[in-house]
Amino acid sequence: MSDTAAERALLCRAAAGDREAFDAFVHTTAPSVWTVLRRLTATESSAEDALQETFISAWRGASSFRPDGNARSWLYGIARRQAARTWRRRAGEPLDSEPLSELADRAGWGADPESIASRAEDRAVLLHAISTLSDADQLVLTRCDLEGDTPTELAQELDIAPGTLRVRLHRARLRLMAALKSEVTHG
Amino acid sequence: MAERHVGGLWCHEVLEHLDAFVDGTLQPEPLASVRDHVAECSECASFGAAYARLVTALRTSPEAALGEARLQRLTARLAQVD
Repeated sequence: MSDTAAERALLCRAAAGDREAFDAFVHTTAPSVWTVLRRLTATESSAEDALQETFISAWRGASSFRPDGNARSWLYGIARRQAARTWRRRAGEPLDSEPLSELADRAGWGADPESIASRAEDRAVLLHAISTLSDADQLVLTRCDLEGDTPTELAQELDIAPGTLRVRLHRARLRLMAALKSEVTHG
Repeated sequence: MAERHVGGLWCHEVLEHLDAFVDGTLQPEPLASVRDHVAECSECASFGAAYARLVTALRTSPEAALGEARLQRLTARLAQVD
């Protein structure tokens, strides 16, 4: 039996209330669902919330799966909807009004940006600095820089103008530099 | 920072173009002006270089895997669901 057929069979058994089959389905598919959700959410905690809600929803809605369908496609659809719930809240947040030059001053503009760049190349320091930023900043940095999605793609998903998304990304990078500068100063 | 007017741009105007400059999406006309500015303005040049290194560092960070602990939390959570 192919992986696809095996997953379909497990899901069909889960739809009939077979908990053991559903647990096997979870263990088979959770790693790839996690990868999808890390691409679609800002933080690991958001992704983990969405992961749990995805499988709760899959268990409760297993009877809606068509026996001739693709189990993984069906599951990814649920995962995408769960991820969407985490970023819809943020898409409508207004842009901050701090002048770009003041933000850049905090980020080391005209000071010692080399030491900030060096800190950015220490992965643990970089990830810690990202974790101190707002969810909205983490979202754009994660999707556009860590994951490599284009600002246009993310803007479409968030239903905002691409130009607005690019401004958000630029400001998020500057705030990340400011956070790294703070670590240089206080670390 | 003390603003300078070099290559037809003020420093704060270079700052506004910095993301597109680093991402390689800046249009030809502002691109030439930004290049002229950073060739003469050491502060914008060093800040732009640091910004570019940050973006490179972000784009080369590996992604964390699901992990056994997270999988266990998931199955524990599911065990509570009817």
